Amino acid sequence: MSTDAGLSDRASNPPWWDSDLAYDFLHSPVAMAAASVALVLLIVALGADMIAPYDSNNPASANVIDARLPPGAIGFAGEHYILGTDPQGRDMLSAIIYGLRTSLIVGFSSVLLAAFVGITLGLLSGYCGGLIDSVIMRIADVQLSFPAILIALLVDGVTRTVMGRGAHDALAVPVLVIAISASYWVQYARTVRGLVLVERDKEYVLAARVTGVAPVRIINSHIRPNVMGPVLVIATINLALAILTEATLSFLGVGVPPTKPSLGSLVRIGNEFLFSGDWWISIFPGAMLVILSLSVNLLGDWLRDALNPKLSDG
Amino acid sequence: MGTFIFRRLSQTLFVVLAAALASFVLLRYVGDPVNNMVGQAASLAERDAMRRALGLDDSILLQFVRFLRDIVNGDLGVSYRFGVPVSRLLMERLPATLELSVCAMLVATLVGVPLGVWTALHRRGVLSHVLLAISLIGVALPTFLIGIVLILIFSVWLGWLPSFGRGATVAIGHGWTTGLLTTSGLKALVLPSLTLGLFQMTLIMRLVRAEMLEVLRTDYIRFARARGLPRTTVNFDHALRNTLVPVITIVGLQFGNIFAFSIIVETVFQWPGLGLLVIQSIQFADVPLLASYLVLIAFGFALINLTVDLLYAVIDPRVRAGLIVSRARL
Amino acid sequence: MADPLLSVRNLRLEIATRRGPLLALDDVSFDIAPGEVLGVVGESGAGKSITGTAIIGLLDPPLRMTGGEIAFAGQRIDNLSAEAFRLLRGRSIGAVFQDPLTSLNPLLTVGRQLVQTMRVHLDISPAAARSRAVELLAEVGIPAPTERLDCYPHELSGGMRQRIVLALAFCCEPRLIIADEPTTALDVSVQAQVIELLRRMCRERSTAVMLITHDMGVIAETADRIAVMYAGRVVEIGPATAVLKGPVHPYTRGLMASIPSMKRRTADLVQVEGSMPRLAEIPSGCAFHPRCPVRLPHCDCQRPSLMNAGDTLVACWLAAHGNVAPTRETIGHA
Repeated sequence: MSTDAGLSDRASNPPWWDSDLAYDFLHSPVAMAAASVALVLLIVALGADMIAPYDSNNPASANVIDARLPPGAIGFAGEHYILGTDPQGRDMLSAIIYGLRTSLIVGFSSVLLAAFVGITLGLLSGYCGGLIDSVIMRIADVQLSFPAILIALLVDGVTRTVMGRGAHDALAVPVLVIAISASYWVQYARTVRGLVLVERDKEYVLAARVTGVAPVRIINSHIRPNVMGPVLVIATINLALAILTEATLSFLGVGVPPTKPSLGSLVRIGNEFLFSGDWWISIFPGAMLVILSLSVNLLGDWLRDALNPKLSDG
Repeated sequence: MGTFIFRRLSQTLFVVLAAALASFVLLRYVGDPVNNMVGQAASLAERDAMRRALGLDDSILLQFVRFLRDIVNGDLGVSYRFGVPVSRLLMERLPATLELSVCAMLVATLVGVPLGVWTALHRRGVLSHVLLAISLIGVALPTFLIGIVLILIFSVWLGWLPSFGRGATVAIGHGWTTGLLTTSGLKALVLPSLTLGLFQMTLIMRLVRAEMLEVLRTDYIRFARARGLPRTTVNFDHALRNTLVPVITIVGLQFGNIFAFSIIVETVFQWPGLGLLVIQSIQFADVPLLASYLVLIAFGFALINLTVDLLYAVIDPRVRAGLIVSRARL
Repeated sequence: MADPLLSVRNLRLEIATRRGPLLALDDVSFDIAPGEVLGVVGESGAGKSITGTAIIGLLDPPLRMTGGEIAFAGQRIDNLSAEAFRLLRGRSIGAVFQDPLTSLNPLLTVGRQLVQTMRVHLDISPAAARSRAVELLAEVGIPAPTERLDCYPHELSGGMRQRIVLALAFCCEPRLIIADEPTTALDVSVQAQVIELLRRMCRERSTAVMLITHDMGVIAETADRIAVMYAGRVVEIGPATAVLKGPVHPYTRGLMASIPSMKRRTADLVQVEGSMPRLAEIPSGCAFHPRCPVRLPHCDCQRPSLMNAGDTLVACWLAAHGNVAPTRETIGHA
């Protein structure tokens, strides 16, 4: 008994450039704008060494004579400071570009780490069930009742106290990454676990298990494809949050060490000079932060709506 | 219902104990407590005496129990940096943080919930889309930046409102100070509450909207409409009721979020609350302070969560019947 | 039909999608007489449910009615204002949906939902409404009805909840009920009871029913007339006995032949080849022609409208030619 399969197959499994998602993207000006902005920022950050007019990591580029110059000013040695300078005489534009790079590095790393931990635990939890499931989900529940920023703050604070000043500074970035991902793994775990539970009880998976197919293969071929979509949505929104969390921690003075550039620390430095009228030290880094997080947020929102079948209406 | 309460209580206890344990480990093993008390120059005999006085020779379990007892009695150790009992420090700063948090919460809820309901009911209107766009930006803005921009506008450029401190406060009762009774106190509250509440407001608005849209799609709402019930009845007597139930949980939990974000706002506005204290304790490795703060917030959060869950049980009959055992499954 | 209670003419329904509008209902017409049970059958996606939704006026975007008329008791209703239509709903036209577990608001008591519905449409005091509610609950077979009034839906079983749904649908004495898969979500043992209850209540009140289902067994027992839908169109409509015993349209014949019967001993179960086309791929001409074993050359370009074939109306060129010879065995392939 053959079914009329030929026609329906192509219609239901189009190549990716013809897919509903691609169509949606090309017809959503918001998504395209957000993606373009994010892409530009990514390129700028990656090419920081080549694009930034001055090397923020090099103390020699900071000239105290040029401290707190407004945007557009010319420095003592004829330097052009497009966005002004900070109290140390460092060029704001360069500092912002390098700070952007830090934000993206920390952001992506924490998302990757959180995703890795979360997905693994979610898979374990959903597939094995029983005690492992209970334990992991309990920890997740408890952790969810605490705000992410607090967890990040505490993890960072505790490591700092335990390791002491010197050791901590050297390892500041990895610790920061761990601190931020410590709060965000839960969502991945929960979502993945839910999906695993749905798939695991389907008959073809049961059949595979009965015939002795290794769990890893089952997970890989049946479960992973279904998981990618939701995980991507979570990851995008997470990225925005991670970037903001890093900036906030740096603003508070407990994030990236002062030697490394960060948008958050720049804002903090500028905070003291608001009343003197030197607004650019806080506002420009702040604006960059907003643009970055806004574009990632918009992308994440669009992705979530596009992948959600329930929300499609004309 | 019984199972539900039991589960929640045990979870609360578990969390508090875990925090206490972490705190204990921090205090006991980070750095040398003896060193911190007697300094580098003390002789061995003095150190031994101090060890015994601090009870460091007893078994770990005994020390932990003693630690717990001390906490219950209100003895949280002495701050390394300030040299005064931690409990006193915390009590001094708590009113400031609480007042700020409550004000921010009010702002966030009283504006966020109605806006969320409105944008759900008028989901295709222009104003709805504008509000949603603004809320999108609101979610992407870091709290500290909001504070700084507000300071720039209202303090630096317009000079209407103060940008730091609490203004004049009035002491009430046992050690509680309030800024609500003085004009300068109230003025000082405006910008920080707004900053703290703005983020939560947009969050609440979007959550309420999403929740309400979900509810409006359900079968029972469809059936209510099929029975010819008027639009207002369907929207408010049915849909809103079902929306508010999980929203109450969210609002309750947001209180915890507000408490956390108050750290940031206090830093921006130099607000003399717990947040500022915590940052300093991290920067100066003031272990007793940090450890006590850990226990305090664990307790506070556990309490908030418990209250919210109990409130939920009061409102949703399915919880009372034992059908829903974990908030995670709602 | 003389003075039908409900008259649907040339109904066209579109779904707006990202890639343009799709036709969900294409020129659907039928009548329902007062007090009669019209069974609407067809596969999932044939358009049965949205027809019911259109009649009760709950079409929401992306669905849109783009053509045709719906008339109730001689008056056109599809162009009524929202408020005027609302007054009709529940009072003159009622509805029962599929899943009793989700049809009742979990936060309101049963009594509250009943009383509220009655007070909206009828001029009745709360006390009177309450006692009427008790009567209704007793009528649908809920034990201890007075106590049950203050129960929440989750305290009742699925079967009981569906009875309450029926009570809610009938409480204002409508003249027409749209029953959309009322038994599909129930246990088999409960299904029969609920159908029997529905029949009884309709008979006592002379209420007409549009019974939408894909369960042929239910239709066979309950319907006075049957309408068969396929790909958004009505392909056959007529008295129940005629459609069941002597179906004319090849699709209907395939449907009837695929019902296993204790009496007929065949070697294999008959199956209609292929599957119903998706909305975006409805064939030209007769929608069934790719799967039809007896199609004529022009079936793929000329769309048949409903034509007379004895007692029934059939949308098939075969009927027009008066040629209904193909036997059961040649309809499906073993």
